Amino acid sequence: MKTLNSDNQQLFDKEIAGDDYYYLRSCIRQNFFPGAEKVFLDILTQKLGRKIIDDEHHTTCSGIGYHTDIVPFDTFQAIIARQFALMKEKGAVNAVVSCITSFGGYHEVLETWKEFPEEKRKAQENLKKATGRDFDVPKNIAHACDIIYKYRHEIARLAPYKLVNTHTGEPLRVVDHVGCHYAKIFPDKAVGGAEKTTVLTAMIEAWGGQPVNYPERRHCCGFGFRHYLVKPNRSYSISNARKKFESMQPYRPDLILTNCPGCNMFLDRWQYALAQIEGKTYSDDKNGIPVLSYEELAGLLLGYDPWHIGLQMHQVDLEPLLKRMGIAYSAEAKYRNAKGIPMTPPKFTGCLE
Amino acid sequence: MKMVVQQLADDVRLKEGMNACMNCGICTAVCPAAEYFEYDPRSIVVAVQSGNEEKIQQLLTSDTIWMCGQCMSCKTRCPRSNCPGIIINVLRKVSQATGAFVQSRLGRQQYLIMKTIGANLLRYGYCIHPSAVDIQNHPEQGPVWEWVYSNREEVYERLGANLDREGPGAMRKIATNDLLELAVIFEQSGGTVLWQSIETHSKNKAIELGLVDSQGNPCMDLYTNYLLNEDPEF
Amino acid sequence: MTKKKHIAIIGGGIAGLEAGSVLTRQGYKVTIIEKENKTGGLLNHWSSLFPDFSLPGEVLARIQPENPDLTLIHNTCIESIKKENGRFELFDKRHLKLYADALLLATGLSVFDASLKEEYGYGLFINVITSSDFERIHKAGQKLLTAQGDPPKRVAIIHCVGSRDAKVGNGYCSKVCCITGVKQAIAISRMLPECEVFNFYMDLRLYGSKYDALYLEAQKRHQIQFIRGRLSEVSENQDQSLQLKAEDTLQGRPLRMQADMILLLTGLEAARQNENLCKNNHLELDENRFFKSENMQYHRNCSRQEGIFMAGSCICPMSVNETLDSARSAAIEVDNYLTQKER
Repeated sequence: MKTLNSDNQQLFDKEIAGDDYYYLRSCIRQNFFPGAEKVFLDILTQKLGRKIIDDEHHTTCSGIGYHTDIVPFDTFQAIIARQFALMKEKGAVNAVVSCITSFGGYHEVLETWKEFPEEKRKAQENLKKATGRDFDVPKNIAHACDIIYKYRHEIARLAPYKLVNTHTGEPLRVVDHVGCHYAKIFPDKAVGGAEKTTVLTAMIEAWGGQPVNYPERRHCCGFGFRHYLVKPNRSYSISNARKKFESMQPYRPDLILTNCPGCNMFLDRWQYALAQIEGKTYSDDKNGIPVLSYEELAGLLLGYDPWHIGLQMHQVDLEPLLKRMGIAYSAEAKYRNAKGIPMTPPKFTGCLE
Repeated sequence: MKMVVQQLADDVRLKEGMNACMNCGICTAVCPAAEYFEYDPRSIVVAVQSGNEEKIQQLLTSDTIWMCGQCMSCKTRCPRSNCPGIIINVLRKVSQATGAFVQSRLGRQQYLIMKTIGANLLRYGYCIHPSAVDIQNHPEQGPVWEWVYSNREEVYERLGANLDREGPGAMRKIATNDLLELAVIFEQSGGTVLWQSIETHSKNKAIELGLVDSQGNPCMDLYTNYLLNEDPEF
Repeated sequence: MTKKKHIAIIGGGIAGLEAGSVLTRQGYKVTIIEKENKTGGLLNHWSSLFPDFSLPGEVLARIQPENPDLTLIHNTCIESIKKENGRFELFDKRHLKLYADALLLATGLSVFDASLKEEYGYGLFINVITSSDFERIHKAGQKLLTAQGDPPKRVAIIHCVGSRDAKVGNGYCSKVCCITGVKQAIAISRMLPECEVFNFYMDLRLYGSKYDALYLEAQKRHQIQFIRGRLSEVSENQDQSLQLKAEDTLQGRPLRMQADMILLLTGLEAARQNENLCKNNHLELDENRFFKSENMQYHRNCSRQEGIFMAGSCICPMSVNETLDSARSAAIEVDNYLTQKER
């Protein structure tokens, strides 16, 4: 079978800026995987020698509020305009967005402004009145995964590890899950478009792994905004995630690779919750299928200490994967604080005790 | 009061999201909500397309418009470049502006979202914050999150984050002035008006349900509890 | 006696051949320029014709014109047309090929590239085929088999692939796919009586004489099932069978179906060379990239450039019998034009 990475992808050849970035952090990523954002910045500045501004003054884009409809579109536009104003003040023109919903949101706003200039004028006026700030539209908006994608070969050259099972020499089998708002709203803003998004599969291939297709690859992780956020609605979320796990299980993946902070968390947590409900996992062990984001994976391959990049914050343990890849790690260093003092570990990790 | 049809049309997103529907069902086919609920985005688009005041009024008071999970899978596929997901945003906006949302169980939940996500937004400058992902309300987050939550100062510090502290970094404290700007933007651009509408109609609903204190004022703790335990009717 | 007027026809499909045949019989000299090494166009690729399952070869045999005044040029693609001193000059990649007193366009159709409809997986999933693929299989006298070599137990035929779809830039109906879908469903059912066949349609546009009778036959005699819903996506299962997602819009419920094979009814597009032919003259394309008529009701065969006429599916997708009618009426328009010029 042809891989997902067929060559006929020129249709969606998006422009990704090469340097001088401005980082827009993600609420969910910072909350659940702060180490992922940290290692992204570190890879960019220390390994790839690029410049990126990490500006403390930007706030949430309010995207979760927007998609739960408690933030009006006008407010959403004005908050995004404020981020652009901060960029302008720093002389930055290349936005790098950590969150997938923000990424979709920035493009939604920009497309609206293109088509309805009066909306842009309204945002300018709202921002000016509220903060006295002015903004310019950034020259380039990339998702952070686009940057890693752009430098995937360079990362491969620098990386001491590969997506290869060191015991068998076989490439690791990796399924990807692309966040809906990365490609589905504006397919031309996504590497590879919406149907055969290649941003993650190209990384998998460049790093020695084997991308594995599965029927529900394009299905939503199930977040559903109000369906997860309101406790009694969560069964929507878990049943959609279940659909994905059921679909990928027969392919026996070694890893789920994600580009969306929310998906990375949900695909990790729902495996645990489903195991608790159903008494089964979707892997051959009690652990579950490990889930990593592209920054976490790039960090691992580049030799960062798994516990410095925050992999102990995952419910599904990464150790089985680390062992397969031959990555050295210290088991006892996993639950230590910044001073190196051991902490009481979680009650249990993985999906089933 | 403006007709709801006009209120929908006033939102620029209706022009973006609504071209013309030919009833092909491609949206419903991939809709995660359609798989889970008795939900059919196609028929919502058709109802909005009809411009029928009564039908649209019915939608605004129904659970239906609150079933969409906003994944926007529909947008990718529509052969007429409609976006049912964004049409839903417009319906929800008008439902909240007119107070119709309190007439449905799922609509009433907007009060809960405003009090959680909304509150986080203005309090922290983030949609979510570690301290707001409490263990009681998030059993699905599992024992590792429980460990993170209970030791968050130490865990975030180890990962080079800057939890609740000044300066840059992950989960940093958003400076007071930046939070203030966010609040003024809310005030300036209609966020506050929306929240007042949600608040007022929710309070009226609480009174209607008899969830009041001894003075007859709405008791919003009782109302919150009511919303969290309301039985689905479908 | 004056010298015979010369008409150039671009395209040696059935429209060009039939028009050429009529015009030579009327006393004109005709040159047909065909881009392939063989005339007959798309008809060479079809196995049987709707609605009567007649053979394309029978049609081709009747219209192959033989006349000393008719010249056929093969393997030549006309790239541009210039009008000079009341005559037309035709160029093939900048070399002058010939002069003509009138020009008839019969550039026909090209089949939509189904791989552009990425969500259906053509070219990626091995058990997804197109209507053209099926005609080839049928014409070769082969049985329809899955990639694993088994007769499929369930085949889904998908309508409107590359038609009526803003996503692929084709907003129009290709017109002949619905009836082709009914025809191919019956052909599969005759070939594999055990196979379940489903047609996923949005609107069944069975406009032609006897088309509805074929639909009836498909339902009554062959138990073909028709589901009103457009296919949203195809995924491949581990055993290379396929999963379909559509909505059964008459039930208002999403529908999941497993099928062994999927057959895509690919839409029809105007020939790509049309755009080049519009340079340096008054020819125009319509919004669907077909040649625009002077008047869509009264002068369907007349282009926006005086002296240039159109026949067949370069105007819009047509069935075989419509194409032949169109070719004959084009010949009348050409004759009118040249006769009037004479006076």
